[in-house]
Amino acid sequence: MSLSPNRNRALRGVLVALAVSSMITLTACAANGPQKPNPAPTDGVLTVGLLNDIGQPPDPDVYYANNGLAIVLNTYEGLVQYQNNVDTRQIAPRLADSWTVSADNTVYTFSLHPGVTFHDGTPFTSDAVRQSFERRLAVNGGAAYMVADVSSVDTPDDLTAVVTLKNPNAAFLDYLASPFGPKMESPTALQANAGADNAQTYLQTHDVGTGPYELTGAIVGSKYTLTQYPGYWGTISPFTSVELPVFSDVSALQLAIDHGDVSVSVANLPSSSLPKYQNNPAFNSDLLPTFQAALVLTNPSKEFFSTKESRTAFLQSIDQQKLVDQVLGARSEPATTLYAKGMMPDGLDKQNLSFDPTVMAAYAKTLPTGTPMVIGYASDNTNAQQMANIVAADMQADGVQASAQSFPTSQIFGWANDPTQGPDAFIDGNNGADGGNPYMWGHVFWDKTGGINYFQCDDPSTDADLNAAVLTGDNALFARAAQTYSATGCYMTLSNNKDWVVSQKWLQGVPQSQNIGANELDFSKLSISK
Amino acid sequence: MTRFVVRRLASAVVLLLVLTAIIFLLQAVSPGDPVKAFLGNNASPAAVAAERQALGLNDPLPVQYLQFLTNLLHGDLGMSFRSHRSVTSDLAAFLPATIELVTVSFVFALILGTIFAVSGALRWRGSAFYRGPLLVLATAPPFLLALGGIVIFYAQLSWLPASGQGADTTGPTGFLLIDSIVTGDPGTWGVAWQHLILPGVVLAIAPAIAIGRILRSSLESTLQADFVRTAESKGLKGHVVIARHVIRNSIGPALSMAGLQLGFMFAGVVVVEQIFSWPGIGNYLANSIPVSDFPAIAGVTLVLGTIYIIVNAIVDVLQTLADPRLSA
Repeated sequence: MSLSPNRNRALRGVLVALAVSSMITLTACAANGPQKPNPAPTDGVLTVGLLNDIGQPPDPDVYYANNGLAIVLNTYEGLVQYQNNVDTRQIAPRLADSWTVSADNTVYTFSLHPGVTFHDGTPFTSDAVRQSFERRLAVNGGAAYMVADVSSVDTPDDLTAVVTLKNPNAAFLDYLASPFGPKMESPTALQANAGADNAQTYLQTHDVGTGPYELTGAIVGSKYTLTQYPGYWGTISPFTSVELPVFSDVSALQLAIDHGDVSVSVANLPSSSLPKYQNNPAFNSDLLPTFQAALVLTNPSKEFFSTKESRTAFLQSIDQQKLVDQVLGARSEPATTLYAKGMMPDGLDKQNLSFDPTVMAAYAKTLPTGTPMVIGYASDNTNAQQMANIVAADMQADGVQASAQSFPTSQIFGWANDPTQGPDAFIDGNNGADGGNPYMWGHVFWDKTGGINYFQCDDPSTDADLNAAVLTGDNALFARAAQTYSATGCYMTLSNNKDWVVSQKWLQGVPQSQNIGANELDFSKLSISK
Repeated sequence: MTRFVVRRLASAVVLLLVLTAIIFLLQAVSPGDPVKAFLGNNASPAAVAAERQALGLNDPLPVQYLQFLTNLLHGDLGMSFRSHRSVTSDLAAFLPATIELVTVSFVFALILGTIFAVSGALRWRGSAFYRGPLLVLATAPPFLLALGGIVIFYAQLSWLPASGQGADTTGPTGFLLIDSIVTGDPGTWGVAWQHLILPGVVLAIAPAIAIGRILRSSLESTLQADFVRTAESKGLKGHVVIARHVIRNSIGPALSMAGLQLGFMFAGVVVVEQIFSWPGIGNYLANSIPVSDFPAIAGVTLVLGTIYIIVNAIVDVLQTLADPRLSA
């Protein structure tokens, strides 16, 4: 029997309607998420969801990106780190129990923790400090600059390392505390697996650190596995193994969290999902401090923003509160400082940009009708996209033919070679320096030799102040550098962003395992609630 | 036949050379900076400049292209800026997962498409209840189908997993289904199948309809042919007529469409691999494009181009075998 064409069409219509309504119902169920907590694992496995592959190999002298720090920071340790669970910049001990700094900031003497061993059993001594610094220079990755100024590492005894710099540098401890800072590596393992590339091939799938976990599986693009190091000198967590599956789609990751297949996810979910988890009894939703911020940058190489006045008028028209409320939500707060929150003592680096859209509106009236303006955002940042759309709409209300445009990451970094190829303005949804020292922030964002000054907007007096301040750590000089750069109208700190960590209800210790500089968790400090 | 194969091979080489030249040209005009992918986003301009020199990116484009071709002749596709590994080893790691997914999906498509065609052509009772939903699903974009499938079968029903392959490949071939048999691990074999069903079906639905429609139309016209009536009037049983006469004479266009769809499936696997976090070359490509990882992009393009050409060549040969008049 066959159906007539009419009945066939009718049947198809019914099926479409059924399919659509089922999809809507099921999606609505998924959107609200489960309300009942998922059970805790009984096999000692913590599952940490990664959004996209880590990209570069988890070699601490090579890795200079984002989510792979979950692996680097749990397999390796540095001499110092930022203090966990505080919202200001405080250097804390890690493999060094204590340290002294010479008055001129050139000699740093570290007392090392006794009884520490690398994962291959080699004892951690001051000679490992020297060799780890040397390898970082030899590999010459993106963060090699942190030890480039080291003139010598003396080892008067096994537990004392004396680092002498060629020039004074008050930011050196921040370099060491940075998640990208030099990590201690087993000299024995490095030598045994040196090959022709300083063991870089070996460290793609192994680790040579002292951290609480060993890298025991690395299937690029699929999954990484960490296994607890039984000889670890610090806290031992109940998680004997950590699996880090790679998700290439955020919705799939979110569903895996809802389903209980992922225990915890750090800074991966979009702000639009905040309401779903914040008051959900099945999950913990922690908003933790970072040195990260959203930024607004103007391009002085473009006709629209060729004058300081036009740039400042635009920045004054940015309604920080509105963007935070409508887009970023509770994970952010409007920024009031020029450096990231927590870097400088209160008020010294105050951002003196008062919200006043009338200035831009007046400026827009002087422009020919329909003058175009492009507001760029990174194609992988949905928050930035929404903010760019809102700002573009505000500009249109002023009579400017503004549009928001997406750019891939590689293109964004290419603007520094020719800023005229960039948009008129750029909204950076989330960015940060390598560490918490004001010099690190000012240098990368404001100095054109820094690395993230996309539009090469440079002010020589700012650079001079930053370069002078880093010699002594003079906060007044850092503050002056910030104010002079702010006066260029090229830069605005839009919001201070937090790490949003979503975890299963049974997971305990998330705030205690995070620090303001790391943007990742120390898995050894996590546990299962009773 | 030999001349035919040699001709196809020669044209394939030329086609791939043109393909690589186009990619090179696109790389040259692209404003992206791949060195940031190599060193990291915060790397200083000085470090970036030094690395660009070291990677040979400052050489004139023809020099870079000649170097690329020379290396290619030695089986060296260069080093991925992102993974810091040779593209050849990356492809060797990712390609089996893609081939496995596409192969399984292609089998699904053939089965679904054949049922669609035969049930329609032979007017099977109630077949509209199968063809209708399949047609509806085929109109949905793959990402929507994938997400819908995950929401229903993973999140709500907990019947199927939603991401990855489910197990690691430790066997000699890199194909999880085969390796799990070789290593005598039926558990992994089962897990691998569970993980293949959702992405496999999502990838199969549109090609199934394309193949099914062509096959159905071909079957219907063949069923009206004089030789079929003659065979029936000679007293041959229905299934014998269909198996011996109808299918053989109807298969040509469907075969051609199946080959075309198989090529498209390799190209379309990117979206499906992304949503299902499938560790294949589609995902590898999707991660390489935003950071302008040219060696990786070129490597994947070459592989996909080669597969497409080989598949089409095989289809041509099969068609020639099925209908010798085509080789004339």
